[in-house]
Amino acid sequence: MEKKINHYNRISALFFIGVGMFFSFYGRTVEIGAWSEPGPGFMPFWSGIILTIMAVFLLLGSFKRKEWQVMPPFFPLADSWKRVLTAFLSMVAYLLLFELLGFTLVTFIFIAFLLKTVFPQNWKRTLIVASATAILARLIFINFLRTQLPLGFLGF
Amino acid sequence: MDLLNHLVLGSQVLFTPINIFFCFIGVLMGTLVGVLPGLGPTAAIALLLPSTFHMTPVTAIIMLAGIYYGAMYGGSTTSILVNIPGEAASVITCLDGYQMALKGRAGPALGIAAFGSFIAGTLSIIGLMLVAPPLAKFALAFGPPEYFALMLLGMVVLIYLAAGSMLKALMIGVFGLLLSTIGMDSISGTQRLTFGILEFSDGVGLIPAIMGLFGVAEVIVNLEEGITRSVVTTRVRDLMPNLQDWKDSIWPILRGSVLGFFIGILPGPAPVISAFTSYAVEKKLSKYPERFGTGVIEGVAGPESANNSATGGAFIPLFTLGIPCNSVIAVLLGAFMIYGIQPGPMMIDKYPDLFWGTVMSMYLGNVMLLVLNLPLIGIWVQVLKVPYPILFPIILLFCLIGVFSLNYSSVEVALMIGFGIFGYLARKFQYEMAPLVLALVLGPMMESNVRLSLVISQGDPMIFVTHPISAGLMAVTFVLLVSPFIPWIGKRRKKLQEKVGGEEV
Repeated sequence: MEKKINHYNRISALFFIGVGMFFSFYGRTVEIGAWSEPGPGFMPFWSGIILTIMAVFLLLGSFKRKEWQVMPPFFPLADSWKRVLTAFLSMVAYLLLFELLGFTLVTFIFIAFLLKTVFPQNWKRTLIVASATAILARLIFINFLRTQLPLGFLGF
Repeated sequence: MDLLNHLVLGSQVLFTPINIFFCFIGVLMGTLVGVLPGLGPTAAIALLLPSTFHMTPVTAIIMLAGIYYGAMYGGSTTSILVNIPGEAASVITCLDGYQMALKGRAGPALGIAAFGSFIAGTLSIIGLMLVAPPLAKFALAFGPPEYFALMLLGMVVLIYLAAGSMLKALMIGVFGLLLSTIGMDSISGTQRLTFGILEFSDGVGLIPAIMGLFGVAEVIVNLEEGITRSVVTTRVRDLMPNLQDWKDSIWPILRGSVLGFFIGILPGPAPVISAFTSYAVEKKLSKYPERFGTGVIEGVAGPESANNSATGGAFIPLFTLGIPCNSVIAVLLGAFMIYGIQPGPMMIDKYPDLFWGTVMSMYLGNVMLLVLNLPLIGIWVQVLKVPYPILFPIILLFCLIGVFSLNYSSVEVALMIGFGIFGYLARKFQYEMAPLVLALVLGPMMESNVRLSLVISQGDPMIFVTHPISAGLMAVTFVLLVSPFIPWIGKRRKKLQEKVGGEEV
């Protein structure tokens, strides 16, 4: 079934009501202070209340009967979600591994993996691009710009 | 006479081999990231900022400023040749620029974009030179209520221009303000929502947020569809516009320059808004408005000049008030702080070498861009021909390294990925990211100014309307907020928002 923008608005309104209420409750715990001497909770408290009120308006508005804009499918192609998930998970894996394995090696694996999985390239192209990127990035960032990137247990 | 002395001082600062070299590096890197879709000037500054820590502040600022206006030049190249704007500010250039390229006139389109940018850049620097010092003196009259009112106006202008629902733009703006409260409270020193994580004490990092919301999210959205791009492959030649081109373009360039400069002073994504406004003005003034969109040179000359001029204007609130009016300037403000310099009304008097050196470097940077870009266009075309399936892992890598190298913190990289996911989902739910980023930029200053104002007035919120300057600013803010309910203005807003999409501020 095709979804309309008011369905989307309803979901996001509930999210923002949650966020707004969380911040205003939190504001109370760290002291809102008085009007003449606002404390650290002042801004979270009032902004949280404003956000909640606006989100309630959005939620109520989404129940109005009118010609709502029809939304395109959440994922435009059947396999879009795989590419999106692969890219996000690869970044998380990069983050988890690069202190351990070192910048150059992880960069090589990261680029090669994405090239081979997201829009699959042949092995020759994958290996050439991944090695060239890893080596160039190492030369630019570690050797030239002297950025302190982790070298890992292998020492490079 | 005073001005002349200052210019001499600026030249003395600038014309050292090291400063000229880093000005060159800045504009070159700026152009490169301007060409690459998904990477903006903020990403380039993030990548290069750590390498500036061992430089003098003047050298560092000269390079970082070069990245900013260099990116505006680079953005136009992709718009004209690939129909994909490398920079948000070049979106409108696609309309006529790409059409010109299809007709075999890519050369003059690129040429006039470069010359127009040069003329506009130069004019806006003259404006900056003339306006900033007196404005800084005027800004001494600003107290917390005025600062708060000005920043609130900046945010509301951006929200007003947001495409789609104004309520949703307001909500995302307030969400940004809430996120900006995370970290140590600057007045009482209380830790707020830091969960014991050291990195959060300084607040939610602006660079991880921007790179996540714009860089990562943009790449991921492109991955969904597996975009294919067709670069105009005919040899780009005859970059010099002919006499008729010049006749058609000179007034759009001059008008775009003036317009861009003044829009640049306002907080918000000035280069983007000014480019759209300039296009609308040129279309209105043209004898043949129906031909706009089919490849007329005015449609390239005006907006390209306006967006470059706006970058000069955008430095004014930074140098005079210490307010960053967009995310790039906010990152620059962060850089100033790292070097122990507080931008604001006193800065020009206190650090004349820095101010005038930077101003002079902008002249030189513009000349470099003109000289560089015309012959280098061939190289940029080659960069663009790299297929997206190969380019995107490299862009993601730049985002990862850029964020990590700032503070060598894995937490900030995780934060960037988190913002990437949020930015991706928010696009699906039709929320714009620009108000969120501006709120993150201005949030801490807005909070301290609103609290100080209330302390000064002993809790009376009327302080914002009893001070004349802040009352004026508040009145404009109020009109913008209620305007959707006034049919006449509401219609105009609809027209404006059709033009301005969700762009990087």
